[in-house]
Amino acid sequence: MGILTWITLLPLAGAALVMLVPREEESILRGIGLGTAIVTFLASLFILSDFDASKAGFQLEVDKVWVESLGVHFHLGIDGISLWLVLLTTFLMPVTLLAPQAIGTRNIRVRDFMVAMLVLEAGMIGAFVALDMFVFYVFWELMLIPMYFIIGIWGGERRLYASIKFVIYTLVGSLLMLVAILYLYAQYHAATGSFSFDYVALSRLSLPFEPQLFCFLAFALAFAIKVPIFPLHTWLPDAHVEAPTGGSVILAGVLLKFGTYGFLRFALPMFPLAADATAPLIAILAVIGIVFGALMAYVQSDAKKLVAYSSVSHLGFVVLGIFSMGQMGVQGAIFQMLAHGISTGGLFLGVGLLYDRRHTRNLEDFGGLWKKIPIFSACFLVIVLASVGLPGLCGFVGEFLILLGTFGANKAWTHSGMQGFFPMPRLLTVISASAVILSAMYLLTMTQKIFFGPLDKPANKDPHVRDLHGREYWVFGIIIVAALGMGIYPQPILARSEKSVAGMIDSFQARLKDAKANPQAPAHLFPANP
Amino acid sequence: MTFDSSQILAYLPMLILIGMGCVILLAETFATEENRRGLAWLGIGGCIASAGALVMQWPEAAQAATHFQGSLVVDRMALYLDATFLVASLLTLLFAPPYLREQGFEFGEFYALVLFGAAGMMMVAHAAGFVSLLIGIETMSLAAYVLTGSWRRSLRSSEGAMKYFLMGALATGFMVYGMALVYGTTGGELSYAGIAAKVPEAAKSPVFFFGEYFILIALFFKVAAVPFHMWAPDAYEGAPTPVTGFMAAGVKAAAFGAIVRLLESGFGNPLLVFDFTGWANILVVLAAVTMVVGNLAALRQENIKRMLAYSSVGHAGYLLVGVAAMGLGSQSAKPAVLFYLLSYTFTTLGSFGVIAWIGNRQDERLFVDDWAGVGTSRPAVALAMTVFLLSLGGVPPTGGFFAKFFLFKAALESPQLYWLVVVGVLSSVVSIFYYLRVVVAMYFRDPMRPLVPTDAASTRAALVITAVAVLLLGIFPGPFVEWAGPLLGK
Repeated sequence: MGILTWITLLPLAGAALVMLVPREEESILRGIGLGTAIVTFLASLFILSDFDASKAGFQLEVDKVWVESLGVHFHLGIDGISLWLVLLTTFLMPVTLLAPQAIGTRNIRVRDFMVAMLVLEAGMIGAFVALDMFVFYVFWELMLIPMYFIIGIWGGERRLYASIKFVIYTLVGSLLMLVAILYLYAQYHAATGSFSFDYVALSRLSLPFEPQLFCFLAFALAFAIKVPIFPLHTWLPDAHVEAPTGGSVILAGVLLKFGTYGFLRFALPMFPLAADATAPLIAILAVIGIVFGALMAYVQSDAKKLVAYSSVSHLGFVVLGIFSMGQMGVQGAIFQMLAHGISTGGLFLGVGLLYDRRHTRNLEDFGGLWKKIPIFSACFLVIVLASVGLPGLCGFVGEFLILLGTFGANKAWTHSGMQGFFPMPRLLTVISASAVILSAMYLLTMTQKIFFGPLDKPANKDPHVRDLHGREYWVFGIIIVAALGMGIYPQPILARSEKSVAGMIDSFQARLKDAKANPQAPAHLFPANP
Repeated sequence: MTFDSSQILAYLPMLILIGMGCVILLAETFATEENRRGLAWLGIGGCIASAGALVMQWPEAAQAATHFQGSLVVDRMALYLDATFLVASLLTLLFAPPYLREQGFEFGEFYALVLFGAAGMMMVAHAAGFVSLLIGIETMSLAAYVLTGSWRRSLRSSEGAMKYFLMGALATGFMVYGMALVYGTTGGELSYAGIAAKVPEAAKSPVFFFGEYFILIALFFKVAAVPFHMWAPDAYEGAPTPVTGFMAAGVKAAAFGAIVRLLESGFGNPLLVFDFTGWANILVVLAAVTMVVGNLAALRQENIKRMLAYSSVGHAGYLLVGVAAMGLGSQSAKPAVLFYLLSYTFTTLGSFGVIAWIGNRQDERLFVDDWAGVGTSRPAVALAMTVFLLSLGGVPPTGGFFAKFFLFKAALESPQLYWLVVVGVLSSVVSIFYYLRVVVAMYFRDPMRPLVPTDAASTRAALVITAVAVLLLGIFPGPFVEWAGPLLGK
């Protein structure tokens, strides 16, 4: 039992414990849920201390036979890419459960909520550390069910519509991905004579161009829906707006990262030819998403919907960074994933708190709140600035690296089919850099409408509209410390992901070169990495 | 004609069921209102004894042995299916008594018919010749017709039984006619092995093809494959709920067992498989149509029994994918089909068990809206139902997920089936949509009227067994699928 097994199973154990407590004991239930999340977070710090930043490959591996007749192994491992995403997960979960508004205003069924959140956490951690495609798929689906319930039970008015839409969108992608996984499994058997779902083994499989393209598209569809990449984003505003605050935080903070993580971990390294051929296309979609998301966010009057669309925009940056296929862009993308998790998580918590106080999310209903609740207003402003990408806060580092990396991506893309079309990476960089200004526009407009101006609406003067108190200090304090820390001293994060990213890009380039030499070669194995 | 005791003993599980059925029939004449429930326990005892005999037989069944001039065979596949039937009848005998008492038509013949039906299914699974196949199919079907119509007070039950019987009789006619044609063109062969030997000669005659497909059509009717599925919604809706589960799982498993064995050992000659008129092509088309039509039709159903009826049509489609893959040479397809049938049996019996549980004499609660709020008032049962529905939809960590997984994995071994797998996967997304409607009602809506379920210890025990089994199949499928056969081929 390695540490990775422990932190995957800990939330499940917590969920089992929660189920034994009578449903009336709400404070005990909250305590167990929060306690489990905190213990999991502390346990995940052991990973950080055991992690060796000088290695590129997987570490802390666990490998147990699960279904012998199929060659399925319970294989877990972690590298510089998944390390921080696991920590993001274990970090955001206790913060979310700490927030009194997590369940939303229909404050019911605390026990079920804790179970759903903890199972969700187990699913997320498991999917990040899984190194067996089959195990990955199982955890990937395991995340879906609790999220479905979280939106459907504790959600808002249109929760039924939103929850079903979320499930159907996600399933279409993930089931086609399952077909592609099975195809790879069969091809691996044909090429080597042995059966394996192991990621390390399957990623060495080199397919001819066409099957590779189909598999890539199946994977990319699953991940693109999850990110979401324009035009597959339409489930996201619905899911976010209807989900309770806790659901929104986890959905935006962690679940969306599975899309970008999937590209980075699976779609690129396993299908280099196809990824290379489609990179410009996906980058263009990402940039459309950046601009489109920003413009949509700008015209929203519902604060939650605004933040939801801002996610579409911000994750467009991440996708752009990944498909720049260079060290800087990819590292920037990883950093941006974490930063987005912190800042957007914070924004959703803030909007949830506002809703709790005012029972509205319509921007026109607010105004002048700074005079009424100054501490919260200041906290919210810091989070907004972090999301905008103000230097010194977490959002800046990632966006900056991504833009820099994409600007230099000319070299990476010269091989691809769309070479010489026009100086695209640079053009895309310019367009997306301008979208940074857009994000300042919509987020600051929102801040202005909520917190500044005259405090003239009677509902805003109501004594019920009170400032932070109790645990809320902790929630926002922790978020702000994290945002500041990542912005001022990003080095620990970048240093630990550097080697893994470099290793991934090197092997990607080597495989690409190998595959380019003979793109129609029948399925065979790439030479092992040095 | 040799007729020694070892040949008889090889079919002990089946004989035990028949014997116990007769005992129940006799005991029924002495039964009173109070002690009639003991008859169900007799039946359960019979199932357990039969399972014991099955376990004893297992080791030596690694080698297939044929008996009675090649008309019956004992092998691992047959025993695996036998176990599936025993699961189905055992769970039916646990779910049925409270339901029958509540609806006021408990009588001993019901339990005897369940056992006779299961014995018929076993006969089908063991059949390696036309005569035994026909006897088995008819025994099973007659029991199923009567069980469907056993709720005499209910018009829908009679209507369903009538439709089922008329259509079933027509199918039997087709089957017998087909058998006659094959018998004639092969020069008087009744056993599968004998037919297989004569196929190269007989296949020159188109009459043989008519015979082959007439038999297959009758079996497609039994599994409710489109376009032979019209009877299923009415029969499923009309039948007493525990019977619906028994029919949906047991009859389907038996008929698939017959299809697999017939196509494998009787019509397995490449001449019959790969040609334009070969059954592999026909099965591919049939599978695609069945999956799509079944799942799309289920979307529109408000009555939960009809919904599950159409969903079972869809499941027949997935299974046909597996049979087609077997025809195209996938070694792992047969164990995948068998595992699917086992997992489907647990899941279906469990879900119909919940449907039987939720209603009472005044209020059957068969519509999706009637399930509102069950998640709050009865969380444990709602959780079990959710597990069953997710398993039907193929979501991990349930048995249904692994079942679909093995099946599609087997199908992906032949490039001709890639598109079929994509159709299957997409239609299972559609199926998730209607399965989740029930989950939505249970958890996301507030109850409209108080819930008065037909609660009983045996129902609860059976629900625990089924839910645990479905999860077990979804987390540790290893041994269950290995018993079905080598999954990795070669």
